[in-house]
Amino acid sequence: MNKIAIIVLLFGVVIFGACKVDPKIIEPLPANNLVEIIPEGWPQPKYTYSVNTISEDKFVLGRALFYETMLSVTDSISCGSCHQDFSAFSHSGHKVSHGIYDRLGKRNAPGIFNLTWHPYFMHDGGINHIELQPLGPISNTLEMGADINPVMTKLQASSKYQGMFKKAFGTDTITSQNMLRAITVFMGLMYSYNSKFDYYKRHENNIDLTASELNGYNLFTAKCSGCHTEPLFSDFAFRNNGLSVDPFYQDSGRAHITGMPQDRYKFKTPSLRNVAKTAPYMHDGRFNTLNECLDHYTNGITNLINLDPLIPNSGLQLSAQEKLDIIAFLNTLTDYKYLGDRRFANPNF
Amino acid sequence: MKNTIKFILIVLWLGFLSCKKDTKDPDPQPEPLAPVTGDTIKVIFEHTVNDTLVFNLNQKYVNPNLDTFKVSILKYYISNVVVTKTDNSTFAEANSYHLIDVSNYNSTVLNILNVPNGSYKSISFTLGVDSARNCSGAQSGELAPSDMFWSWFTGYIMFKLEGTSPQAVSSNKQLQFHIGGYGGVNKVQRNFNFNFATTPSNVSGSTSPSIHLSADINEVFKTPATINFATQSSQVSVGPNAKIYADNYADMIHFKHVHN
Repeated sequence: MNKIAIIVLLFGVVIFGACKVDPKIIEPLPANNLVEIIPEGWPQPKYTYSVNTISEDKFVLGRALFYETMLSVTDSISCGSCHQDFSAFSHSGHKVSHGIYDRLGKRNAPGIFNLTWHPYFMHDGGINHIELQPLGPISNTLEMGADINPVMTKLQASSKYQGMFKKAFGTDTITSQNMLRAITVFMGLMYSYNSKFDYYKRHENNIDLTASELNGYNLFTAKCSGCHTEPLFSDFAFRNNGLSVDPFYQDSGRAHITGMPQDRYKFKTPSLRNVAKTAPYMHDGRFNTLNECLDHYTNGITNLINLDPLIPNSGLQLSAQEKLDIIAFLNTLTDYKYLGDRRFANPNF
Repeated sequence: MKNTIKFILIVLWLGFLSCKKDTKDPDPQPEPLAPVTGDTIKVIFEHTVNDTLVFNLNQKYVNPNLDTFKVSILKYYISNVVVTKTDNSTFAEANSYHLIDVSNYNSTVLNILNVPNGSYKSISFTLGVDSARNCSGAQSGELAPSDMFWSWFTGYIMFKLEGTSPQAVSSNKQLQFHIGGYGGVNKVQRNFNFNFATTPSNVSGSTSPSIHLSADINEVFKTPATINFATQSSQVSVGPNAKIYADNYADMIHFKHVHN
């Protein structure tokens, strides 16, 4: 009997041990740490909370709105439908967004973090301000399909939101400006700067990279960082990275906004922070794994027009081992502290 | 104090970097109005065709290309209204953004409040919304996002005209002109300035003068480019083609007279 108990106990310890993540990486969060952050060595953010000041009431309202299906015309889709906390607020396993009436969007829902550094939003950069970003998916007929005024009418009719807006903005008259500012407080405070790589860089918690990760980092710096620039791992420029054009989507990218032929097939460089959690990849989610992405860069480059000058026609030269090392490095960009941050989780669950 | 100034400078610099701004305070909150002696100037927009016919929605007219057309929606922004006194001092309306919607008579009469006493000789304003307000995030009041705002490509539709023409080669003979673009060579804001020094409008605290303007719809289709509905029945994106309509409506509004 005792033996069985000990075996069960040991078994439990093993399982528990296997699931437990390195305590050096995950730290408990302060209960309420709602402040602007500029991590050491980072540039000034593009958006500061000087006019739209941060408060807990705005954050809580913004979170409720982020997970609010009333923002869609059918009361069925929220921002959180395609931006899930466990996948760095990308749409795990979905090539393109899923909207009202099971409609499929045209592009992959990107992760949400460090948004206040973005100079513009969406894969084509069409939206010029973080506060206005939510209007894109809310009004897109393939996503939430709603006109803004009926949405405001629905919120105004809700006693829950009357109370929350009153607390956050001092008035129960619900305006789109206040709605968008509350969402901006919520989304803009999703900072991700505590990955294993960050600890290594900051010499914190005695974190070291393995030989493979370090080699991957060096290769990354030599071959990838021209576009995926530290510390945000994006230069936010529009580039054609040599993808073939999907005949169904025929997505011209940045040219859809500017109308300029030199912008055809260019998309905003995505950040690679948390990239191990944001599959599938590319603007249309065509690659399921990081390995497929690296295969694209080594032997999948299509030079239609406007191929980025940093990418050779023949692709990057990477051996199989080098790819593994780069992927090992990319895995160090996963920020478990941000991924596990309950402040950003759906309050309805 | 030094740090505060530094912070302000950095914020200003960042704002400048992220978006080229014309002028104007990007703070979207209207300043509380200081009590001033003065009164209201009314600016009345009367819509016409060829400056003589009274314009009504859903009524048939003929454009300069001799195409017939009816208009169902006509909306445009008027912003940054400034009036100038005979002594050359100026008064700029605070938070000066007005959406004129021809289907709503009240929106065609701008009430410029708290204008200081004096004798005024000119008025200027912009058709459209300045670059700053296109780049400063979520706005309120007349500038709150609506069907006059593009959500997928940030920016206000500065001028919108929809209707039908039997000459139009489009679904249901529709005309759709959504004119926008806030910066660069193809920006579509156009400035107007009207001088009425011979009949100055007097604000005295007891009189409420009104400035009567005429907005001639056919100017949108006349010069420098004559619009042919058979080939030009829609314009819904930013660029050189949108600029054609802006160059046309640049002389759409005419001064009529002042009532004191």
